Amino acid sequence: MGKSAAASLRNATLENARRIDPVTASVIQGGLENIAVEMGHKLMRMSYSSIIRESEDFGAALIDPQGRQLCETPQSTPLQSGPIPGYVQGIQQIFAERGDSFEDGDVIVHNSAYHGASHGPDVAFCIPVFHNSGLVGFSVTTAHHLDIGALSPGSCGIVDAMDAYAEGLQFKALKVYDRGTLNRPLWHMLRDNIRAPDLVVGDMEAQIAAGRIGAERFVELIERHGPETVEAACDALMDHSERIMRMAIDALPDGVYRARTFIDGFLDGDDPSRGDLPIEVAITVEGSDITVDFTGTAAQVPDRPINMPLKGTTDCAVWLTIRSILLDSAIHGHIPQNSGLTRPIRIVAPAGTLVNPVFPAPTIARFCTGNQAADTLMKALAEAVPHQVSAGVGNLHVVAFSGIRDETHWVHMEIHEGCYGGRFGKDGMDAVDTLYANTRNNPIEDVETHLPLRVHRYELRDDACPPGQWRGGIGSIREVEYLEDGGVSVEGEGHKYAPWGFAGGSDGRTAGLTFRRRDGESIDLPSKLPNMTARAGDRIVMIGPCGGGYGDPMARDPALVLEDVRDGLISAETALRDYGVAIAESMTLDAPATEAARQAGREGRTP
Amino acid sequence: MQLIGVDVGGTFTDLVFTDTDRDVTLIHKAPTTPDDPSVGAIDGIRDLCARYDLDPAAIDHVFHGTTIATNAVIEHDGARTGMIANRGYRDILHIGRHQRPENYSIMQDIPWQNRPLVRRRDRMTVRERLAPPNGEVLEPLDEDAVREAARAFRARGIEAICVCFLFSYLDPRHEERARQIVLEEFPEAFVTASSSVAPQFREFERFTTAAMNAFIGPRVRNYVRNFAAGLDRADCRGDLHIMGSNGGIASAATIAERPVLTLLSGPAAGVLGGVWAAGPDAGERAITFDVGGTSADIGIAVDGRVGEATARDTWIGGYPVLVPMLDIATIGAGGGSIAHVDRGGAFRVGPQSAGSRPGPAAYGLGGDRPTVTDANLVLGRLDPASFLGGEMTLDTGAARRVIGDLAERLGLDESEAAEGVVTILNSNMANAIRSRTVQKGLDPRSFTLVAFGGAGPLHGAEVAAMLDIPRVVVPPHPGITSAAGLLTTDLKYDAVKTAFQTSNSVDAAALNAGFAWLEDVLTAQFAADGFGRDGIGLIRAGDLRYVGQGYELRVAFPDGPIDEAALAGVWQAFERQHRTEYGHVFADSPVEIVNIRLTGSAVMPKIGRPPPPAEGSLDAARLRTGPCSFRVDGRLARFDTPYYRRDAIPAGCPFEGPAVVVQRDTTTVVPPGWTAAAQADRNLILHRGN
Repeated sequence: MGKSAAASLRNATLENARRIDPVTASVIQGGLENIAVEMGHKLMRMSYSSIIRESEDFGAALIDPQGRQLCETPQSTPLQSGPIPGYVQGIQQIFAERGDSFEDGDVIVHNSAYHGASHGPDVAFCIPVFHNSGLVGFSVTTAHHLDIGALSPGSCGIVDAMDAYAEGLQFKALKVYDRGTLNRPLWHMLRDNIRAPDLVVGDMEAQIAAGRIGAERFVELIERHGPETVEAACDALMDHSERIMRMAIDALPDGVYRARTFIDGFLDGDDPSRGDLPIEVAITVEGSDITVDFTGTAAQVPDRPINMPLKGTTDCAVWLTIRSILLDSAIHGHIPQNSGLTRPIRIVAPAGTLVNPVFPAPTIARFCTGNQAADTLMKALAEAVPHQVSAGVGNLHVVAFSGIRDETHWVHMEIHEGCYGGRFGKDGMDAVDTLYANTRNNPIEDVETHLPLRVHRYELRDDACPPGQWRGGIGSIREVEYLEDGGVSVEGEGHKYAPWGFAGGSDGRTAGLTFRRRDGESIDLPSKLPNMTARAGDRIVMIGPCGGGYGDPMARDPALVLEDVRDGLISAETALRDYGVAIAESMTLDAPATEAARQAGREGRTP
Repeated sequence: MQLIGVDVGGTFTDLVFTDTDRDVTLIHKAPTTPDDPSVGAIDGIRDLCARYDLDPAAIDHVFHGTTIATNAVIEHDGARTGMIANRGYRDILHIGRHQRPENYSIMQDIPWQNRPLVRRRDRMTVRERLAPPNGEVLEPLDEDAVREAARAFRARGIEAICVCFLFSYLDPRHEERARQIVLEEFPEAFVTASSSVAPQFREFERFTTAAMNAFIGPRVRNYVRNFAAGLDRADCRGDLHIMGSNGGIASAATIAERPVLTLLSGPAAGVLGGVWAAGPDAGERAITFDVGGTSADIGIAVDGRVGEATARDTWIGGYPVLVPMLDIATIGAGGGSIAHVDRGGAFRVGPQSAGSRPGPAAYGLGGDRPTVTDANLVLGRLDPASFLGGEMTLDTGAARRVIGDLAERLGLDESEAAEGVVTILNSNMANAIRSRTVQKGLDPRSFTLVAFGGAGPLHGAEVAAMLDIPRVVVPPHPGITSAAGLLTTDLKYDAVKTAFQTSNSVDAAALNAGFAWLEDVLTAQFAADGFGRDGIGLIRAGDLRYVGQGYELRVAFPDGPIDEAALAGVWQAFERQHRTEYGHVFADSPVEIVNIRLTGSAVMPKIGRPPPPAEGSLDAARLRTGPCSFRVDGRLARFDTPYYRRDAIPAGCPFEGPAVVVQRDTTTVVPPGWTAAAQADRNLILHRGN
């Protein structure tokens, strides 16, 4: 933005600020956030499938008539609430094309990845909100559904869907309620074409119920303050968030920051063009504007679903990363989430690439690609703000377990966590969901009580700590046995490419997946696994990645290395090899030997 | 009966004495001794006895509210703790639910990774494994390995140990056996079995609860012993009881074993005190509104009872804790909350607080940032000369300076800015109440707001107005409500058991056996405290959800054998509850019983109602009149406002707002449009309208 444009923006925001006093603006902001909290709370508590209620893979937000987000539920995972404005814009676009109109009492279902949806299983229910017969906004919930009628059970690990039609049902802005009247055929059609329909339909009902509460509360807020005041407050609120983001960007040195990482893609097939795919980012900082350019990123994979919808996944990955680094909530505290935050950010994503595929390229398994895009962005920003980033982040696996009992499918999805790289002054976070994912695991005591599965092991990896002055986070191992015959499918990443080390830190460790048959045979699986039969007694072993190290391991405080050895995270041999720290048999620090080993290291000798 | 309630706060220890035979109630304040709060508490009892010529030996019961356990958790100052877990599951405490506390943060810390209750080196694993649904033994307990672990822990200087096995809620025998073995090898250790503190599913939460109990155990046990010894030395023979988070009191011996039960001891007493203060009628549906310098605690009583938080919402210091706790919402809003303009230019109040040092600018102790107290002073709602009974004079000039600076940054005039501070704070507090009422299907208009704490009565009426609550009660001594609350409750213990059962195939025999087992557990617990079965009241409940859901709702179960008719009633009650809480039911979906619960209580003597206030007239109670600012019909205006002395206001003489009522421990604001009157029980009641 040029100087005069910046000035005119300032004038516009000042104009918005003048329309509302600061006290009322603050009061209305609190009111909006309270509504989003209630929507999320109720959706999470009412919902049936563990992917929503345990993993918290859902979103809720209020949107204004222009399709801008006013508030979002803090419980949600960022990849769910972030795309909601895009869903609404997609619905508006389809309605305009069709000549359809929003009516009081409508409930609209939508999941078209080429019209704002994040991907097909993340189904939105959108409720237009009316006050005095005028449209004042939308109350929207999204949730990841267990099954959406794709070619194999579940809604993850559908890695062999060859186009958008193979991914399951496509809802393009359909009214499930039309002026308050239920559209029964649509509901029957849905029920008959998805597996585990009781759970899925229960979750959808919960979404509608939570959305209606949001609509009701939004009307109450408008009645309490008046529509003009609420509108003015919303404008001021978005301007406020934009200002905070601009100040953070303005503090960065102007310039271009680049990074490239790779994803596995499909390494096991016969087509090499589906594997070893680059994600390339160039970030241009100019004043208070930031442009994220993905030019150079691999072409879309036309017949495999790891492509990311630009609106709904790529944009969210960008927003989430920039916000988490520049406005880190552990440092900056709570900042109202709304569309103002994304105004200073421009995304360039050439059509026909992984980050902006063209219909009907499939997208259902784009989860890990997006997290890798977020990681790549962090790698680029590391140059600008080395004290605010982590070294390379370990990506995730999403595993769908399924089977048939009493002529009904059971489907269970687990997100197996990654971890963070080391940070300036801090080690990486171990075994957590990363970047735009922030779900919860399923308690073993819940899984085994309700499903024919047994979890045999869940703990940190042994002696797998990536060295650095601040070490990378450690991934976990989770080993699951089938007690009945069933199936498994997986979408994951990072089997070939380890998380990047930073500033002299070592690279992290790759992830893995092993299938251990009951007869003892062990098979290493690729990171993408289409539905595969599993027999009772077979086991899946998920091996999480370890994040990159940060800074020279030889500079790590020997006392911290000793603590890691005492905690059984690394062996004494590893301490000497990776850190030049000598640990005596009494589990104490051998200071002279350490000094000698580190000196040898500095001189390039083997200690 | 002679009873003493002792509530230890950050600065003061509040004491309330009551003699139920003579209907006498006395109050006293003593300085808190932070290094060992029992010292200040015992000194306080001595002073109180000396001052009112009471015989300490005649005191029957001492009821105590303590933050000792909470502080140990928050300051991470506990015992070096060891853990014995199943092989293959060493890091359940470390991985947790694999969720980051913050969505948008790279530099955040994860409490259970950064400040582990048990460090990894002290987590040992042994062979043992049970399986659902009935606790079938997949792998027997390796007793030798447990013995070895205990020896190793002893050699390392570990003080406390938790034993945490998967599915132990189905059958606690392996955990119990392991505990015995540990004690054989290491008798001085403080040992906790996870099934003894929280026999419920969800391993991370149960193990964390057990680890926390062990972590704080030795310290709390010592504290309780010191307290009891101190009472002895003071010739006080009263039975020591300690307030639990569940809103009941427990014997000192129980708390020494299960200190994790006291994590919300202080706030629980406050909420109960508030409900009691509201009186028998208003207390039926009351919102307690306890506002201090840094935070506001909000509790909701329906049918006179304060509900419990659901097990998944109970957190302390960033750790989940699976123990019964009253449902108390705490937000960062109080008299010391700092008003500021954030980087983006928005007007915010709190959650940062100036605390009591330096405190608000008006305290003259070096505070230079505008606080809620400064705003109230600028608006004329605090009387500078009567603060803390005149012990401290508020500096109006200093308050005007900091509020003036704020006003300039906001482009508002001084009183607009001051009133904005109060309005934003009130709005935050009203939102917190809305979350607990409207969002749970409760209509706040049918409630009474009970305002107490140093700042509650200053804001009560305006917060009530935001929620259309018509009535506010201010108790006679709003500053000691927690201590009084200690004297209003019963001995109370909970027992819980996970018992998965689905509505389309209920094993009624198993349920009946489960309730019988819970009853045995509680009967033994009460017997240890000297109560026979006849002296205990038992209330049954269950945690239910639709099959597949992950959050349960608490539903009452009937007494007597559980049969089909009883269950039909339970399903109906669940459906009603679901509709109330969420506004929706899933017709035809089967319902799952997750946990069954039994709460036992034994009646304890209680504090009586206060005697009526002195005779007199309103004119005599009037200190002065002065200008005070209020917003009426959208416009901020100054009103010539009378200031009354609370202790001189006669009963039954209503007066209209605007008015300000001052007393030693608080100030009550009666805004325009409200009417106030002192009652025979010395409560001050504010009504909206005339």
